[in-house]
Amino acid sequence: MKKYINLTCALIVFISTTSFQNGDILCDSKTLKEKAKSALGPYKYDSSELTRIIYKKTETVKEIEIPLFIGEKYRFIFNLEAIPKNIEVQIYNKDKDSKNRKLLFSSKDGGLDRKELQWEVSKVRQVYINYIIPPTEDGSYSGCAVFMIGYK
Amino acid sequence: MKTTLSLISITLFSFCATRCGNNKQEENTTPIEVTDTIHQQKDTVVIEEDDETSYKLPSALQIAYVSKKSGAPFNESILNKTENLSRYNTSNYKRAVNFGVYSSDLANCLFNKKYQESKRYLKALTETGATLGLKQAFESDKLAERFDKNISNEDTLVQIVSNVQLKTDNLFEQNKQKHITVIAFTGAWIESIYIANQAYELQKNKKIHSSICEQLTFTKTLIKALEATKLKEPEMPELLNAISEINNAFNNIPSVKSATENDRELNFDKMKFTDTDMIPTMELVKTLRTKMIN
Repeated sequence: MKKYINLTCALIVFISTTSFQNGDILCDSKTLKEKAKSALGPYKYDSSELTRIIYKKTETVKEIEIPLFIGEKYRFIFNLEAIPKNIEVQIYNKDKDSKNRKLLFSSKDGGLDRKELQWEVSKVRQVYINYIIPPTEDGSYSGCAVFMIGYK
Repeated sequence: MKTTLSLISITLFSFCATRCGNNKQEENTTPIEVTDTIHQQKDTVVIEEDDETSYKLPSALQIAYVSKKSGAPFNESILNKTENLSRYNTSNYKRAVNFGVYSSDLANCLFNKKYQESKRYLKALTETGATLGLKQAFESDKLAERFDKNISNEDTLVQIVSNVQLKTDNLFEQNKQKHITVIAFTGAWIESIYIANQAYELQKNKKIHSSICEQLTFTKTLIKALEATKLKEPEMPELLNAISEINNAFNNIPSVKSATENDRELNFDKMKFTDTDMIPTMELVKTLRTKMIN
């Protein structure tokens, strides 16, 4: 009987390692968003988004366009726990095709290895979040980034 | 030997059942596959990669919060009647757009401390939400009971409704219903502008006017979001058309046009508007709102 149990366990380990190799990470959206929500503090929850990050052989950029009310104060929370390889989070005042856009925030400033980022802004009518996904040569990776907006 | 095989089969079956299948048990956990194709391949779970650009529009709660701050008074008679609910179970579009309209009405009641009315609109939202696959968001955590318990506490009620908002956001995401969120936003946004304009017509309050204009600047992003999802429901191209017309009418107001052409910041508190400037835009808003709720 012990032999059978060992055999079964070995089989499970084998399947687990082959199914989720190459750095794939499970995206537990609910847990990631709950963590982000607890970082909103006094700000009221407005909206959130889970973005799937797929690493490719060349650098890729994912952009999220967000219109804001100019007179309101906002807090942005990013949870990057489900990212297998660091990405850079940038926030601009114009979209990625615009020439004279201004960088308002970069996660590079505090170190790319941070798993939770916080940014506050007011008196802005539009922002563009850019996830800069680095290229990868050593197999494919995937994961997900969560961001949340609070207002007050 | 037979026992061994049975044991292994059961184990493998259990593993696959918990790891690969049953969305209901693991609805918050999305396994990510390394490829970005959209086809279901044999023995692999393949997920759809998100678009390169996405759009995040504000919640009905935030819009109502900003509108309330402008000083717009509450007028229950202009809200969409909850009795109209039975008309909307005819298409995904109709359900979604009126889910948005009722979200806006609920938020308006909440921020104006109309708690009994809020309760009625929450019930209407719960029923509309159920037809959109959102039953779980409204039934969890004894929502109705907690709402009743805190009926006169605005902060707690707003917190409760924000939690429902987060849950509906999650469910829309899991069910891959991004287009439904865009339609619902459009309903909430149109309702909010309509309500604010009714208040403005009565009071001619400059702050309410500025708040309406601020809301109208969202058309740019809304049009892109509708463009990206317009093939998902048959009514969406027409909706996109209606929003584009509102956008054009607003951008043709002389002071808005001049500021845009000269790349000046839109400062609605300081810009000059005549009494008739907003009429074409507001007529389009009223027409679209009437169409949505009937």
